[in-house]
Amino acid sequence: MSTTIATTEKLVGKSIRRREDPRLITGTATYVDDLKLPGMHHACILRSPHAAAKIRSLDISAAQSHPGVVAVFTGPDVAGVGPVPCGASLPGLRVPHHAILATDRVYYVGHAVAVVVATDRYVAADAIDLIEVDYEPTAAVADPEKALEPGAPAVHPEWPDNVSFTYHQEGGEPDKAFAEAEVVVKQRITSQRLVPMPMETRGCVAEYHTAEKSLTLWSSTQIPHLLRTLVGQMLGLSENRVRVITPEVGGGFGCKLNVYAEEALAGFVAMKIGKPVKWIESRRENFLCTIHGRGHVDYYEIAARRDGTVLGLRLKLIQDLGAYQQLLTPAIPTLSVLMMPGLYKFRNISADIIGVFTNCVPTDAYRGAGRPEATHGVERMMDLLAAELNMDPAEIRLKNFIGNDEFPYATATGLSYDSGDYAAPLKKALDMVNYHALREDQRKAREQGRLMGIGISTYGEICAFGPSPATPAGGWESATVKIDPSGKVTVLTGASPHGQGEETTFAQIAADELGVSIDDVIVFHGDTAIVQYGIGTFGSRGTAVGGAALFFALKDLKAKIKKFGEMMLESDDITFSGGVCTCNKTGNTVSLAQIAGMSYRAMRLPVNEEPGMQATRFWEPPNFAFPFGAHIVVTEIDRETGHVEVSRYVAVDDCGNIINPLLVAGQVHGGVAQGLGQSLWEQAVYDDTGQLITGELMDYAVPKATSMPWIETGHTVTPSPVNPLGVKGVGEAGTIGCSPAVVNSVVDALSPLGVRHIDMPMTPEKVWKILQGERI
Amino acid sequence: MKIGGSYELALPPARAYTVLQDPSILARCMPGCDHLNRIGETAEGHVAYEMKMKMAISSVQGLFAGTVKLADPNEPTSFRLIVEGSGKVGFMKGEGVLTFVANGTGTDVRYEGEVNVGGVIAGVGQRLLDVTAKHIIKKFFGKVAAAIGEME
Repeated sequence: MSTTIATTEKLVGKSIRRREDPRLITGTATYVDDLKLPGMHHACILRSPHAAAKIRSLDISAAQSHPGVVAVFTGPDVAGVGPVPCGASLPGLRVPHHAILATDRVYYVGHAVAVVVATDRYVAADAIDLIEVDYEPTAAVADPEKALEPGAPAVHPEWPDNVSFTYHQEGGEPDKAFAEAEVVVKQRITSQRLVPMPMETRGCVAEYHTAEKSLTLWSSTQIPHLLRTLVGQMLGLSENRVRVITPEVGGGFGCKLNVYAEEALAGFVAMKIGKPVKWIESRRENFLCTIHGRGHVDYYEIAARRDGTVLGLRLKLIQDLGAYQQLLTPAIPTLSVLMMPGLYKFRNISADIIGVFTNCVPTDAYRGAGRPEATHGVERMMDLLAAELNMDPAEIRLKNFIGNDEFPYATATGLSYDSGDYAAPLKKALDMVNYHALREDQRKAREQGRLMGIGISTYGEICAFGPSPATPAGGWESATVKIDPSGKVTVLTGASPHGQGEETTFAQIAADELGVSIDDVIVFHGDTAIVQYGIGTFGSRGTAVGGAALFFALKDLKAKIKKFGEMMLESDDITFSGGVCTCNKTGNTVSLAQIAGMSYRAMRLPVNEEPGMQATRFWEPPNFAFPFGAHIVVTEIDRETGHVEVSRYVAVDDCGNIINPLLVAGQVHGGVAQGLGQSLWEQAVYDDTGQLITGELMDYAVPKATSMPWIETGHTVTPSPVNPLGVKGVGEAGTIGCSPAVVNSVVDALSPLGVRHIDMPMTPEKVWKILQGERI
Repeated sequence: MKIGGSYELALPPARAYTVLQDPSILARCMPGCDHLNRIGETAEGHVAYEMKMKMAISSVQGLFAGTVKLADPNEPTSFRLIVEGSGKVGFMKGEGVLTFVANGTGTDVRYEGEVNVGGVIAGVGQRLLDVTAKHIIKKFFGKVAAAIGEME
């Protein structure tokens, strides 16, 4: 077997098609629900139809005696299982005990009450209906602002004010800035609850090996190693006896960056019945029981001089937490505060977060996780300020950007922006739309009575999570590179991906560094028994942290390869390039396969070198990375129907160096789709009694392919100094840049009617009502 | 969800009042009603019936078991109707006041109240709840009118 000798042509920077796709588009990929284990049973979960109720009694006898049912478990049965963990901490944070099954009370519609285990999934689902629960409904509250009113129903009776935490952050002298400001603009801005909606719902299979006292848990998760640690703790199993495997994951968007009751419940059931058990979340359950995103009510105030120079920003942020703290629930709004200055020289900042319990499913990370809300806020405020001062929205932004010579830039919120040229993407986007001509088109359109809008947003985001001291778990990432005796390369990454294409991009990096063909590299992830401990994929960290760990593992391995090359070529003057070591004096060569073979055969070894060809690195980033960009959206509104047509969408992103432009474009497209979803259509609506009334895809408008405009993408490249690849991260950029650009555009379109702000989603119904002169 | 409306019956108010409290009429005319058995009077003095009824809304249908209560009798002007039921697809609760106003030889039966649903039926059926409720009420009064026609 020979190693393909690759050319020295670099793969990094090339649009290589995703190596994951053949199995995905031919239906040969294995998702959790594809698993079939011998003797496997199926679990279905009974869920509360009430948002708040006491459980008076529960009768499971009919379900237990139903043919095919093996076991039914309720709250008291799982009392020995540890609570669903909250990994975030804040001073004075109230964390309710989150048992994996409700016992005496239910706190939201969908709260798990009992689990039925049967030989067949349909039998389990039927038997669920045989459980009699006598609920005593109590008053519920679903709106975070109403939950703060005196006399509101208490979500958790022990905390009648419904406040889980308050958090204050301040930088500079905000009071002075506001006192001295020539103009202050205020606005209430909401960011509605959203359902993350991965195409693959959650699900898990648990198998307990009784003799070995070990549990294998297959789960559709973004964090296999953290899940292993935390589920092991919940179930009282030692961590080395828990193996978590993430097969193909059909989308996560943050909602699978979590530890859920069902994952521990499946483990518990498998241990009790001694058989493997599968639980697959239905789409309706996904609406009710998987975390939601966003859920902000923000009160902003911006202070400025009349020339448009910004002075200060104040924020009161009411975060709808839902009924419980999931893994990162309370940490998400703190990210909004960190990023509230955006790309501007706000030296004076004041923010107050109130985390509020409601009788709803918990909120947590959803694509962007706190940063879309922050960018939406500051970018809306910049437009409101521009309108107040009668300035052009592009001009006011260019006036206030942090300058290129100010990096690293210490923000008023305590961050250090790594590198940037903030005007560059905006100027490029303005060129791409031919801004001045476009404003002229708009003027003519208005003369014709058409409602045309141009919206600009510029965003900065915090990515590459992150330095460990600043993250709830570790912020490092790990990589192992193994070269087989035949010279073939295996990469193990701890940054378990779920659609980001790391099997492609990481192979590009490894192939380049080792000078081998990409076909000789495989990238493996998502099995805690095989892959060294890792953190996971979220917060646009896969490449910036996981890729950097890989880079350093490759660096170590190249040093070892060179030592073997020197020994085999009997020279200390050699070059390793293109997959071969060449003696610079004689021109003699040894291939990577020969070197790898020698390292395992080990007839001779270089001084101080061990046999084998493998390197592992755990890399700790010194800082976050801060990508940025500018999105410009042109809309036209149908006066008769209120329909918002996005006629142009231009996204110019600076995510540092680009490993694979095709995948970066894919991330931007997907991010923009979800941003448009929030801007125009999507909203998770609870009624006053805490019923989720958008509980299916007939009522919850996820964008479809036909809803999407053509997206024109562009890039500027400002490498990050934080990691050796110079990458910044792009997984969430599209979502973060999108919503303010769309809202700014629609507000611009409607500004001749006196409209100055609209909250999302800007559905046809809402826009139509505005056109009819109704106040929204 | 608030509901309200009126329906004209070809009976004087006193008769209309009695007819709409007659369990055999209610059982026949409530759409999807499987049975309605008098279970006596509640502690508050409400006349209570146990009922089973089938209901379909959007893609969801199911059998609801619960109670029908007649309260606050103010013959022949008004009474309060309370319907509660739960089943595999969730729960429903409706409460409203029926008012009887003479209109020529007939009666305007006015109703005003609130309907709440929960569980699956709320999650997937909310969009159609309004029209379904209106449809059910219309059908109910239509059947009552037909029953009156048969009786008279």
